[in-house]
Amino acid sequence: MSAAMIHFDNVGMTYGSPARPVLESIALEIRQGEFVCVLGQTGCGKSTLLRLLLGAERPTSGRVLIDGREHRHPDRSRGYVPQRYSLFPDKTVLDNITFGPEVSEFSLLARWTPNFYRRRRELRAVAFEYLRRTGLREADAWKYPDQLSGGMQQRVAIAQALMTEPRILLMDEAFSALDPGTRREMQEMIHGLWQSLGTTVLFVTHNTHEALRMGSRIVVLAKETPDHGSRVVRDLEMTETSRDDPAELVRRLEEASEGRLLKPSPARFGLKSRAAAV
Amino acid sequence: MSVGSLLIYAKPGRSTTLALSWALFALGIAAYFYVAHARHLENPEERVTPSLAQMAAGMLNAALQPAEDEEAPDVDGTIAQRFLGSMLWKDTLATGRRFVYAMLLLIPAVLLGLHMGLFPYVGAVFLRSFLFFDKIVALSLLPVLFIAFGIDELSKIILIVIGVGPTIVLDTFNLTRGVPGEQVVKAFTLGAGDFAVAYRVVLKQILPRVLNSIRLNLKAVMLFLFAGEMIASTDGLAYRIALLRRHMGMDVIIPYVLWVALLLFLVDLGMRHANRLLHPWFHET
Repeated sequence: MSAAMIHFDNVGMTYGSPARPVLESIALEIRQGEFVCVLGQTGCGKSTLLRLLLGAERPTSGRVLIDGREHRHPDRSRGYVPQRYSLFPDKTVLDNITFGPEVSEFSLLARWTPNFYRRRRELRAVAFEYLRRTGLREADAWKYPDQLSGGMQQRVAIAQALMTEPRILLMDEAFSALDPGTRREMQEMIHGLWQSLGTTVLFVTHNTHEALRMGSRIVVLAKETPDHGSRVVRDLEMTETSRDDPAELVRRLEEASEGRLLKPSPARFGLKSRAAAV
Repeated sequence: MSVGSLLIYAKPGRSTTLALSWALFALGIAAYFYVAHARHLENPEERVTPSLAQMAAGMLNAALQPAEDEEAPDVDGTIAQRFLGSMLWKDTLATGRRFVYAMLLLIPAVLLGLHMGLFPYVGAVFLRSFLFFDKIVALSLLPVLFIAFGIDELSKIILIVIGVGPTIVLDTFNLTRGVPGEQVVKAFTLGAGDFAVAYRVVLKQILPRVLNSIRLNLKAVMLFLFAGEMIASTDGLAYRIALLRRHMGMDVIIPYVLWVALLLFLVDLGMRHANRLLHPWFHET
């Protein structure tokens, strides 16, 4: 088994004054190449967990380590696909996708050099390839985000995030605003991309079926009491047999995420429990 | 007793809307000429409500003749040459120059608002001061400006900047703060640095709204410009209006006022079109 790439080291997070605990004693290790679905009810701190990993917020206690190092600000090692506002509205689809490499390689002034235009042609060729992989047409490349449906916007957002080849892809309820059909398509697409690229994915969702369908591992966050922050109450590695009785598994996971903590019996569901839950 | 909606869902047709939108103009013009006609019947020398012919003659005079205090032009010159030497053109040019300088000085105001909204330390330094300056009545500072900077161009332009600058700074600040945090985080994850986020992400997104904000403040810009020109100037449209007031020159004042309104309308129209052209993705709500 490879060493952990991401390490939540006893992380706690509180907001406001008086302090309102959101996360408490989060201890979690994620290996490279895992597809981890973070499951929990609205307000349980799933997005906060993701923002801590992004470096957009700092934990009140504990540390978040990536390859043994704290990252205190968002950077291009972690791609990000939020639920909304994922695309820059002033840029076309193509410019959105190539924004990452362009902004990294060229300053505002360097944009007026011949070298920039040559490189941009190369980047656009790669962007078209990502467009194709995410199921978009070439004709969509020249549209602005508001001319696309929600599903297409999220496809572009994924292409945009993948263009910089991040080692970790963080998705925050990325499909929750989509209709069921599009949602299913997107789930299959991101799962396929994960399998072919091997990127480590942290996927935040409150939809148990979605987590089951996509994750190679499911982490459930829930609060024990309203006065406490959320903790990891289930940490399940999915195996082939674990999907045999999805209805029962969904029931158990939903009970866990609702805070009705049952004694874990992973063997019953063909699951390998990674942490002593509860 | 509920009677339902009688007004909210009563929508006029296209031609009715057009007719209604011009109705007040037509009513105002008709009322003016009715009063002017009645007064001219009483007194053929009437100057307070000039007739259309008087206004046309006054405007033609202003557009083709130099000011009384200037040299007479070459009477054989073409109409274009006479216009370029006329009182109206020189006044327009003088006011236009001050207007352009003032608009250029609003660019730093936009950049300051952007930095205040994006960089917390810059915001901490400037926000309180600008909230305070925004409440100062700029015209009350006019004597101070004249004492400090003299009565030449600088004081008039500074008056405009003091009058409108804080509003533009605070508007830009609020627009910057309105950009979703996800966009900023996303830009960083794509490899952008602080200034790339500021200029290539946030500024580009807020620019159409900033231009709209400046458009809405055009009248305030002209108000401060006119105040400065009326009090201390030797040229400009407002100077001329103030000067003609002493001679009851309503036959030129009214066309001048309409000329200023037309210019402002054209600037507004130009900015609106430029905004649409430069930002095809932007849709006003």
